[in-house]
Amino acid sequence: MLTGWRDFEHTLETIDRLQRRMDRAFAGSLAAADPAWTAERRRSRVAWPPTNVFETKEAFVVKAEVPGLAEGDVSVSVEDDALVIRGERKTEVPAGYRVHLRERAPIAFSRKLPLPARVDVGAVTATLKNGLLTVTLPKTREALPRAIAVKAV
Amino acid sequence: MNDVIKQEPKNGSNAGKAYQRRTVAPPVDVFENADELLIVADVPGVPNDGIELGVENDTLTLTARRLADGGTTSPALAREYDEVDFAATYRIPAGIDTAAISAETRNGTLVVRLPKAAAARARKIVVRSSSGD
Repeated sequence: MLTGWRDFEHTLETIDRLQRRMDRAFAGSLAAADPAWTAERRRSRVAWPPTNVFETKEAFVVKAEVPGLAEGDVSVSVEDDALVIRGERKTEVPAGYRVHLRERAPIAFSRKLPLPARVDVGAVTATLKNGLLTVTLPKTREALPRAIAVKAV
Repeated sequence: MNDVIKQEPKNGSNAGKAYQRRTVAPPVDVFENADELLIVADVPGVPNDGIELGVENDTLTLTARRLADGGTTSPALAREYDEVDFAATYRIPAGIDTAAISAETRNGTLVVRLPKAAAARARKIVVRSSSGD
């Protein structure tokens, strides 16, 4: 199960790396000629928000960097043994201002993270603090480690 | 596994005070209107009191430190971001009232306002006709 997760992440990483290499190859030509193309590429970028997943004895803890997002901008759900994080980050130019530099891309996102074990859907909690989303997914009783008593017969 | 973050506390006076973290410049947007320059920086995980801003001559220095994160002690199944701290210096253009620079944090972003000095603001000059017209 865990191997499956790693492979999945590895695939994403590979795609990301390939995309960056392509971006470098095209830098200054396509992107410069067509800002819309650049915007489209940003929208479809793999793996936003960047996410770390930890496992404790009782739960999985998912942390995602979502700077600029307020409570209403992100939704969290558990669907088919996967955690789904959806939302939109708007980084609008404030009215009446000129732009000197734009490094914070607006992005609409939807990520599905397969869970390596069953979780207690009713007990999942999500908090947002300082642009950091933390989702805690307690494991179900069946997924918790259990000592089996060995009886001599 | 944990090669990204060095968790050993420093020796001496700093013992146990802070983790050694990598430091990067945060992504920023820079805007301007008639009254001010606006810098918006992404500093996820940084609390209000983790931010230090300093002005020296024409240089603005930003340091943003993340909260110690309890989750990092458990094994990571996936790691897509490093828990970095943020630091950057920006050159302040002429015509900024450096004494009036202010900043606030909002959902993991830092907004720095650099008001223009009165003399540098765009002004409309009223043209009066002389009485002989």
